[in-house]
Amino acid sequence: MGRTSKDKRDVYYRLAKENGWRARSAFKLLQLDEEFQLFKGVKRAVDLCAAPGSWSQVLSQKVGGQGSGQVVAVDLQAMAPLPGVIQIQGDITQLSTAKEIIQHFEGCPADLVVCDGAPDVTGLHDVDEYMQAQLLLAALNIATHVLKLGGCFVAKIFRGRDVTLLYSQLRIFFSSVLCAKPKSSRNSSIEAFAVCQGYDPPEGFIPDLTRPLLNHSYDTDFNQLDGPTRVIVPFVACGDLSAYDSDRTYSLDLDGGSEYKYTPPTQPPIAPPYQEACRLKKNGQLAKELLPQECSINSVDKLPQPLAIHTLLDPKVEDNEIHC
Amino acid sequence: MDAFGDYVWPRATSELILLPVTGLECVGDRLLAGEGPDLLVYNLDLGGHLRMVKRVQNLLGHFLIHGFRVRPEPKGDLDSEAMIAVFGSKGLKVVKVSWGQSHLRELWRSGLWNMSDWIWDVRWIEGNVAVALGHNSVVLYDPVIGCMLQDVPCTDRCTLSSACLVGDTWKELTIVAGAVSNELLIWYPATALTDNKPVAPDRRVSGHVGVIFSMSYLESKGLLATASEDRSVRLWKVGDLRVPGGRVQNIGHCFGHSARVWQVKLLENYLISAGEDCVCLVWSHEGEILQAFRGHRGRGIRAIATHERQAWVVTGGDDSGIRLWHLAGRGYPGLGVSSLSFKSPSRPGALKAVTLAGSWRVLAVTDVGSLYLYDLEVKSWEQLLEDNRFRSYCLLEAAPGPEGFGLCALANGEGLVKVVPINTPTAAVEQKLFQGKVHSLSWALRGYEELLLLASGPGGVIACLEISAAPTGKAIFVKERCRYLLPPSKQRWHTCSAFLPPGDFLVCGDRRGSVMLFPVRPCLFKKPGAGSKAITAAEAPGAGSGSGGSESVPTGIGPVSTLHSLHGKQGVTSVTCHGGYLYSTGRDSSYFQLFVHGGHLQPVLRQKACRGMNWVAGLRMVPDGSMVILGFHANEFVVWSPRSHEKLHIVNCGGGHRSWAFSDTEAAMAFTYLKDGEVMLYRALGGCIRPNVILREGLHGREITCVKRVGTVTLGPEFEVPNLEHPDSLEPGSEGPGLIDIVITGSEDTTVCVLALPTTTGSAHALTSVCNHISSVRALAVWAVGTPGGPQDTRPGLTAQVVSAGGRAEIHCFSVMVTPDASTPSRLACHVMHLSSHRLDEYWDRQRNKHKMIKVDPETRYMSLAICELDNDRPGLGPGPLVAAACSDGAVRLFLLQDSGRILHLLAESFHHKRCVLKVHSFTHEAPNQRRRLILCSAATDGSLAFWDLTTAMDKGSTTLELPAHPGLPYQMGTPSMTVQAHSCGVNSLHTLPTPEGHHLVASGSEDGSLHVFTLAVKMPEPEEADGEAELVPQLCVLEEYSVPCAHAAHVTGVKILSPKLMVSASIDQRLTFWRLGQGEPTFMNSTVYHVPDVADMDCWPVSPEFGHRCALAGQGLEVYNWYD
Repeated sequence: MGRTSKDKRDVYYRLAKENGWRARSAFKLLQLDEEFQLFKGVKRAVDLCAAPGSWSQVLSQKVGGQGSGQVVAVDLQAMAPLPGVIQIQGDITQLSTAKEIIQHFEGCPADLVVCDGAPDVTGLHDVDEYMQAQLLLAALNIATHVLKLGGCFVAKIFRGRDVTLLYSQLRIFFSSVLCAKPKSSRNSSIEAFAVCQGYDPPEGFIPDLTRPLLNHSYDTDFNQLDGPTRVIVPFVACGDLSAYDSDRTYSLDLDGGSEYKYTPPTQPPIAPPYQEACRLKKNGQLAKELLPQECSINSVDKLPQPLAIHTLLDPKVEDNEIHC
Repeated sequence: MDAFGDYVWPRATSELILLPVTGLECVGDRLLAGEGPDLLVYNLDLGGHLRMVKRVQNLLGHFLIHGFRVRPEPKGDLDSEAMIAVFGSKGLKVVKVSWGQSHLRELWRSGLWNMSDWIWDVRWIEGNVAVALGHNSVVLYDPVIGCMLQDVPCTDRCTLSSACLVGDTWKELTIVAGAVSNELLIWYPATALTDNKPVAPDRRVSGHVGVIFSMSYLESKGLLATASEDRSVRLWKVGDLRVPGGRVQNIGHCFGHSARVWQVKLLENYLISAGEDCVCLVWSHEGEILQAFRGHRGRGIRAIATHERQAWVVTGGDDSGIRLWHLAGRGYPGLGVSSLSFKSPSRPGALKAVTLAGSWRVLAVTDVGSLYLYDLEVKSWEQLLEDNRFRSYCLLEAAPGPEGFGLCALANGEGLVKVVPINTPTAAVEQKLFQGKVHSLSWALRGYEELLLLASGPGGVIACLEISAAPTGKAIFVKERCRYLLPPSKQRWHTCSAFLPPGDFLVCGDRRGSVMLFPVRPCLFKKPGAGSKAITAAEAPGAGSGSGGSESVPTGIGPVSTLHSLHGKQGVTSVTCHGGYLYSTGRDSSYFQLFVHGGHLQPVLRQKACRGMNWVAGLRMVPDGSMVILGFHANEFVVWSPRSHEKLHIVNCGGGHRSWAFSDTEAAMAFTYLKDGEVMLYRALGGCIRPNVILREGLHGREITCVKRVGTVTLGPEFEVPNLEHPDSLEPGSEGPGLIDIVITGSEDTTVCVLALPTTTGSAHALTSVCNHISSVRALAVWAVGTPGGPQDTRPGLTAQVVSAGGRAEIHCFSVMVTPDASTPSRLACHVMHLSSHRLDEYWDRQRNKHKMIKVDPETRYMSLAICELDNDRPGLGPGPLVAAACSDGAVRLFLLQDSGRILHLLAESFHHKRCVLKVHSFTHEAPNQRRRLILCSAATDGSLAFWDLTTAMDKGSTTLELPAHPGLPYQMGTPSMTVQAHSCGVNSLHTLPTPEGHHLVASGSEDGSLHVFTLAVKMPEPEEADGEAELVPQLCVLEEYSVPCAHAAHVTGVKILSPKLMVSASIDQRLTFWRLGQGEPTFMNSTVYHVPDVADMDCWPVSPEFGHRCALAGQGLEVYNWYD
């Protein structure tokens, strides 16, 4: 497969590159805004888990008018700088990060908090869903520190087995919770966005970042595991019907007009964890299995031995207790 | 299955779960494996065989098992009883079992304790358990009564990715926590001043640049190993972790995995790590890789267990397979490469070719025309002969058979062939066959009766020589029997040959990639009536080295059957006959299974060798009945087992272009090659059998995208399947005939798998897999289900035709035949034959210089398939069904399958949807006094359904199908009969059922979690005028329409209307829900939480009145449910 394959399979990936967005997810926020007017009247916005920065790009262009809006982007990872975005490299579970955000807004709370963060999926679905839920709850926890009353919170969710628990938890803090899926998010993807409007914490709630918000668990009355009562919030499909279909495969000459030209990705990842391993692999320095030819074995003339188990035993291991 | 009365029927119960193996533990000679919420206990005997003792069902409810902790017994007696703490996700349960000889009894189980957070580690602390939780806290828990005794958080409540608890008392309990910040935090829960008072970390250790997925502590040596996202394993000298303030020193940083490392385990002398790259590495504590275990497929190895006394490593993979490996320490015993020290002043000349006669004699020829023998027992070189006519160009091949029949053949550039008895080289016989160069030599052996030598000369002529020996053994006779002629090509010579049993034909492969059949006795072939035994005795002792041969046979006999360019331009490398099939290998990285039917070669299946093995050089049957593939992977020679996906031998020989030879016997295998002017020999005792054991076969390595039930095979009592799952169940064989459901699955791993699911044992057997797809398989359809002997035959078995489709716009059609076979564990044998294939962009592959151009066509994926069986009386099209495909480029395409699936071509298409079409479904409308009508329903990502009247469209002279703009292009399907906007976004499931009133119930489920059910009526307009000839077009209309907006919390990926009153739906939110229909809005009846995540497809079928329904859910795993009607 050539490098154009992904452009054909995913029209938004291609459009993002062509329009200078750092990731295709920029379209998701734009389409969410189309539906919910998220940016209306917003002066201060926070982008949590911002890297690589496509949502910050959108926020910096759309929030406020002519540079009057303020955007703070927070991420644990380093992110390439963006004009008009204040960056904080920090942990969203730390109180200091919340204080720093407020500091940048000169003591004013934020109007909008967004979080498009997802953990690096491990492929074990229950672990990934848990990790995503923790990320969302951590984002919610810091949002309770920085969001103004009536403010809006948008975060990515994985619609897996326990998504109803997240809905019930979000409902405690917001007057309206909806599940929205922009057209630019693929049908095959389990991701969706919780759009929570009207921040209204329960009476007596004191924001506390020293204690993580933990998931709810199922109860027998309001949110049953397998009964008819489950908290399923209304679903809204965003983006108008004329928008491109993210599942459809398009031909490379989209409008027949301009000729297709391959565009490289806008912002390649900065210092991924596998960098060192890849460098070693490229230079052939990964440890290699000791092949028999490297072992000095002169067994060619030996009589054939049966490969019974006991001949394989390392005598040093034999006497040990079973270690389990 | 408990308490039926409490629920509205039906109630689904889980029968079988195939999920990634995330928990493994060895306890004595038993292996505990977690499979979803079930605990499987296996017995490991000394041979490494595994026998399932018991499945302890549903221990963790809707959680999946991630680990076991067996309570240490002070007296060390775990052989009769054990307390096992089972945990996963947020659930914890303790179960007490007694395991005698082979019986396992569950003595007691605790309640399912729900923790407030994710459980990363559990450790038994004097009868209680300490639990390390997700946000860096430790809980001391009484697992018997289920109450929390202590709850101590750390001051740093970060999210963890792993944790390890050390110590046997609460006082000395130590937690090593892997934080998201990539640091290790070591702290002591018992140092909390009061309960719930946070404890500050004692030490913070950094080093990894990714999160830590696994840790292992070796108390005896004070070592800690960590596995990380950064693809490395680190070894730390920590001393006694229970002592605060100790120094932590990084003593090893091991890079060896090519992806993230999921698991690590420290042993006294080894460090075992396994990861996303599906490799399990055995390291020394010094950081050398001693062994690498490869064989799992898919997304990696998720669990490791070790049995130190037996030096076994057990791994569990994402493919739901479990394997056992032998720790061998440094290097394998009894194998290695050695140089045979050919170079010597007494042996002038450079080596040209090398071969093996059996596995203990090496033959080599030099550029001065000397033939040498090396006997591994004598260990010295001996010159057999010197003939300067074989200078500079010389081919050398030893005869097949265990000891090579004691014969080898030489050929030169002037058409001379010399057959040399190795023990008596002076008795060599030579024959001048051609005027020009002999391009290739090969042998063919039939039993011990007939030995042929084939030599290719100029112009594609193959001379067939018959070799026989005098009864004294002192002389051999060489007689030219006939000449064959190869089809024309640039490099026109044969590369390999074999007898096709019973021995009337020779199979040859040529340099052009073709496989062909030649008659062994051409004279008899022309007169089939003649006797067949007469000629073998007719030896002509006086044939000698005469020159008459070439004139008497002027041209040569052509092949009776040819598969042209089967292996492409790089050529065929070997042909082998085994078990009624013929196998060919080629340098196109594939091997073919073929068979001969009525004197004609027919390809059955194309199989791919392991990744990177582009040069498949040969195929061998090993004594245990399985097959191994020989090939070259870059500069390595590899012996690979398709059954275990394991590389059995790897020899760094430099590549396949040099002279090499391979030989294997039960005792040993040998591989010899030339390198740097020297003869090298690799030998491995034990041949191609590895003692590594597949404890449980894996299924697909990646997500399963589609599942379809084919049919049921009923086996009589003579095929009684031993009930391994419930050996202590009281009804042995009382069930009568065994019902086995045959199910096919398609996966993102590009394969289609045929599975047998017996109703009695709750197990699954993978019968065959089909690897023809080049991209992921996304859809399957089945038709023409029957029995092998036809409708009258009552013998058990099943035949069916299957169509599979997926990425890269590729469709394959094949037939499946399942027959009873008492010799296999599943009691079934499965034969698959590939029939036809189609790719939209096939023309692209044929283009020259395609790498220089950008292909603008979309990379169309087929999302769904439906078989539309038209009436047989269609004029003009001939019998055969239509296949409708939902395409990602926005089209609905119709393919026509003819000649029982052997011809597949694109008939018509429509871009009506203009969006990715997700589902197609077909059904027939039958009404009294009316023609049977075939209706196709398609659904797209915008939530709309379109209905197409195929019967009208397919009628001759119909105007519905528009003629294509250019001949050769498909017809255009026009506009659909009706469209319904059912959902706000993508339709992920679709089903219909005719109602007793003559209407159709249509149900669909969507990405937005909604269900849509409506009644569709098909109305025929009254024949108003006497317009007799004009075909009446039926009108479709919606009668009753209901929508359930929040039926599920995620995509509804499976929906099935079981009866006009009952519907079942399945979703990615892992609920299987029953709905009552027919009383207005569909109403919720009950739902069951299942364990397979990301379910992409569901199929339900009735099994028998006693057994009820079965339902297969396929996603990241496979789960089978059943319910009683």
